[in-house]
Amino acid sequence: MLSRVADSIYWMARYVERAENLSRLLLSTQDLLLDAGAEGLDEEQFWRPILATTGDEEAYTAVHKKIKGRDVAAFVALRPENPNSILNSIRAARENARTVRDQISDDVWECLNGLRLFVESNEGRSTFRNQNAAFYERVLRRSYQFQGIADSTTPRGEVWHFLRLGTCIERADQMSRLIDTCSAISMDMPPHPQSRPLRWAALLRSCSAWHAFQAEHSKLDPKKIIEYLLLDETFPRSVACCVVELHQTLQCLCGVGSLHHMPAPVRRAGRLRSDLAYTTVDEVLAFGLHEYIDALQTRLNDIGEAIFQTFVLYADLTPLKDDGPLESTPTQPLGAYHVHSDEDAQIQQQQ
Amino acid sequence: MSSLFNDYQPGKFFDEVFSAPGAARSHYEALLSNVGSLTPGDYSSLQKAVDAAFLKMGVTFTVYGDDQGTERIFPFDLMPRIIPQREWERVEAGLIQRITALNLFLNDIYHGQKILTDKAVPEELVLSASHYRPEFKGVKVPHGIYIHICGTDLVRDDKGEYFVLEDNGRCPSGASYMLENRHAMKRAFPGLLQSLPVRPVDTYGTMLRETLEHLAPKGVLDPTVVVLTPGIYNSAYFEHCYLAKQMGVPIVEGRDLIMRNDRVFMRTTKGLEQVHVIYRRIDDDFLDPLVFRKDSLLGVPGIINSYRKGHVALANSIGTGVADDKAVYALVPKMIEYYLDQEPILPNVKTYLGIKKKECAYILDNLEKLVVKAVNESGGYGMLMGPSASKKERSDFADRIKANPRNYIAQPVLQLSRHPVFVDDHFEGRHIDLRPYVLYGDRVRVVPGGLTRVALRKGSLVVNSSQGGGSKDTWVLWDECSDKAASTQLAA
Repeated sequence: MLSRVADSIYWMARYVERAENLSRLLLSTQDLLLDAGAEGLDEEQFWRPILATTGDEEAYTAVHKKIKGRDVAAFVALRPENPNSILNSIRAARENARTVRDQISDDVWECLNGLRLFVESNEGRSTFRNQNAAFYERVLRRSYQFQGIADSTTPRGEVWHFLRLGTCIERADQMSRLIDTCSAISMDMPPHPQSRPLRWAALLRSCSAWHAFQAEHSKLDPKKIIEYLLLDETFPRSVACCVVELHQTLQCLCGVGSLHHMPAPVRRAGRLRSDLAYTTVDEVLAFGLHEYIDALQTRLNDIGEAIFQTFVLYADLTPLKDDGPLESTPTQPLGAYHVHSDEDAQIQQQQ
Repeated sequence: MSSLFNDYQPGKFFDEVFSAPGAARSHYEALLSNVGSLTPGDYSSLQKAVDAAFLKMGVTFTVYGDDQGTERIFPFDLMPRIIPQREWERVEAGLIQRITALNLFLNDIYHGQKILTDKAVPEELVLSASHYRPEFKGVKVPHGIYIHICGTDLVRDDKGEYFVLEDNGRCPSGASYMLENRHAMKRAFPGLLQSLPVRPVDTYGTMLRETLEHLAPKGVLDPTVVVLTPGIYNSAYFEHCYLAKQMGVPIVEGRDLIMRNDRVFMRTTKGLEQVHVIYRRIDDDFLDPLVFRKDSLLGVPGIINSYRKGHVALANSIGTGVADDKAVYALVPKMIEYYLDQEPILPNVKTYLGIKKKECAYILDNLEKLVVKAVNESGGYGMLMGPSASKKERSDFADRIKANPRNYIAQPVLQLSRHPVFVDDHFEGRHIDLRPYVLYGDRVRVVPGGLTRVALRKGSLVVNSSQGGGSKDTWVLWDECSDKAASTQLAA
């Protein structure tokens, strides 16, 4: 498979997953606000975590003075100027899909194209204005549909593996961000003790873990929740579960034989997998949850970087057999479509 | 006669469907009895369903000059254009004759230039064509073929006679719309397609791949073929991708390719993989910054050198644009005579050359009767429609012609044939042309039909998509009697 194609498939999956997670986050925060409304809580206290999770506080304050629910939701959902918005994630997913249309099934393509047509349409905007829950649910459903169609129409070859890599790594990353912000905010909310369990419940809801968690644990114990979302390999959105699949997928891609000479992505993913498997939640809390998650995110980034180095840049670095010395070739932009790449458009239209 | 066509007026033009008001040509009868029985409401909901499907599938082209890079669907009119077998046979023979002569011509001018020394065509005219590539003289190309994929534009005049308007020997586009249009028709009128002997077009992908594989360097048994695109922002990206998918080959951008030892490789997840044949949808100018435009980021530095050495094949070859020069087009009948010793089966449109003094004077004296075209423009740009132009536009054009007569040609205004097109809730006549696709591999093959383009604006004679054009499916019908013969031919 072309390196660029692998990169595009990987990012297509990441952006879909990102849009899904953002939608669920907004939806659950909104629900939470409805539950807590009677207690006269500060709007800002509820919505700031969203911006912290997506890392967009600065971008937001450049546009808005105060943190208001409506503005935050609109900023995260549909603002074209916000590179991390749901709108732009869907656009980027779809642009990447467009570059690999020959590799994915027509149904996968139609699903993403349909989603992008919806979020860009007047119907999409008015759904968001009038009843934003319906908007988020539509994005969520489409994302599930994407997963389902991809699952049932993609041959289990490289396309599938890169798709799963993108999904798993993005999901693990989003989950770790969610746990981080939720716990941080929850800790400094002493004035309203009754809102704390609400916050944790919202965290579970925002990763569709409410019922699954309830079935296993009777109490909303924050420690148990952190353990469940971080370390439990049975829950499909937990960090540990994502890393297990990440590692397995990388093994498939690299065709790993012996434990020695293991390619960097497999090694890094495998090491993280066993760390998560052999760590207890008490150890995590003793280390400091925030610090632990920081380190976790760095390691996820390292895995992402190793994937890029191995599968996308690799071809440039390998000399051919029976070949003379490598001549240096001018490096050109490589890889997937991202939200900020306007100059591509001009170059490609020049002819 | 059915209700939908009751009020249809063929007008003073050659109408493809009606020889006179209410009098349908025989090859349209079955279609009319079927379509005509629909109500306007049924018909327009069918049309809307097809439009929605095109948008959903992303069967679009990009409109430039719009900062969002807006994608639009290429408007599609449901009512198909029908060509009876006997008429088609003549068109097919004419196209084969033409691509054969054009390839002999290109091979000649990039080698011995016999046609020029024999003075069969004027040397200064050919060598002054801006797409003539002197740096390519003497380069041997696989099988001596230059134009492998040709999309000739045909029009019919007010008597129904076919003429060649342009040859398009560089990167003709539109084949994907031909295929998608047929697909849409199968959905909209399944019964009709089953009951009529319509010749299939969906073998195009296979034929194209065979044509390309034929070019592989000697000794390569299982060649790697790729489609080279400028990228997703190019207006024809949909088509590039679609054709790659139809052929089952990778679609690559310049940045995916890399040179090693004068050979072309693509960067894959498992290392470098050699490429043998490139169906390139990038113009000569942008293909190799070492040879052509230095500022091009779309191409592959060194690819031309590899092509020269025979390590990779390109389709179409370099320098075919000389045949697309509208002044060189005027010489094609002479090429047919010179190389094949035949009369052209499909005539050219009468063309006056600016470079010839007498003809130039005629052009300048008769601007209000002529269509003037710049020799290297296409897509409906750089032309003057004399009869409808203002005085000022005509005098501006006259100045341009005087300043650079080589750059202009003129043709009488053809009253293109018309075809009923559904407008709001009824049918009206609109002018059409036809772009069949000709493939030159181990033999020349013509896809039965092609892309019928429609000038959707009332009265307009310009069918280009950039100028408000749309398209129709094109049905070539087997004759009932030749039915059997044709199917055995296909099986063989």
